[in-house]
Amino acid sequence: MSSDVLASARSSMRAGRVIAIVGLLWVAAAYVRAIAFTPVEAVQGPAQKIMYVHVPAAWCAFLAFILVGICSALYLWLKDPRLDAFAAASAEVGVVLMLLVLVTGPIWGKPIWGTWWQWEPRLTSTLFLFFLFVGYLTLRRSVFDPLERGRYSAVIGILGALLVPFIHLTVYMFRTIHPQPVVLRPEGPTMPGSFVATLLFSLAGFTVLFLGLVMMRYGLSRHAEAMGGHDAVAG
Amino acid sequence: MLLLAEPPANQGFMTAAYVVVAVVLVGYSVGLVRRVGRALKGEG
Repeated sequence: MSSDVLASARSSMRAGRVIAIVGLLWVAAAYVRAIAFTPVEAVQGPAQKIMYVHVPAAWCAFLAFILVGICSALYLWLKDPRLDAFAAASAEVGVVLMLLVLVTGPIWGKPIWGTWWQWEPRLTSTLFLFFLFVGYLTLRRSVFDPLERGRYSAVIGILGALLVPFIHLTVYMFRTIHPQPVVLRPEGPTMPGSFVATLLFSLAGFTVLFLGLVMMRYGLSRHAEAMGGHDAVAG
Repeated sequence: MLLLAEPPANQGFMTAAYVVVAVVLVGYSVGLVRRVGRALKGEG
């Protein structure tokens, strides 16, 4: 059993490492495309190009937290430790990406809105979501019984994932200064084709990188478990 | 969105955001790759 877990962890780490390197190169290519080959927007200037890293990071962070919710719900049902380990891996990568969202957003906001931060619904709820998953990771480091840790963190993971659609809808439900979606609209994208192409190219690169990072993190957790050691996230 | 002759000069904000993202992504990825390397060698 332990050797099966070890072999599975090793293959996950190896595949994740290759995918993450491909993802990093892809994101680097997206940088070149965004900086050198995508026109400067007329009203916002070069600061508009922050969107090409801010939106993909947000997309991947929300994807990460939704995966945490799905895996957590399945864990409570099936009690499979692989689901708990995957949820923890996805949460950690999601927190890193959400940190980037919360840093790049204000850097864009200062020149465009004239302020680094506003306590308005989209920004505030996103900050709360970030804190919630930081709490999720902190909880995992504090509880040493694997079953208790898995059960407690699964409940927080599900509650956190439930916030994601709410945060997406805040721009429709409340008066907010955050822009509405510019690509996923029923009437089609509101940006020129070259802008959309760069955004989608960057989004694909971030998604590949996210996948590789989660696979590596998941493999490390499973490896630590198979070796009988302690993992910072999985426990 | 039309192109004007002189868009706002806020290049520094874009540079700052891109640098932060690159540093965090590369730093976190390299950290994980090194840990994976140690684990695969049987050290971790």
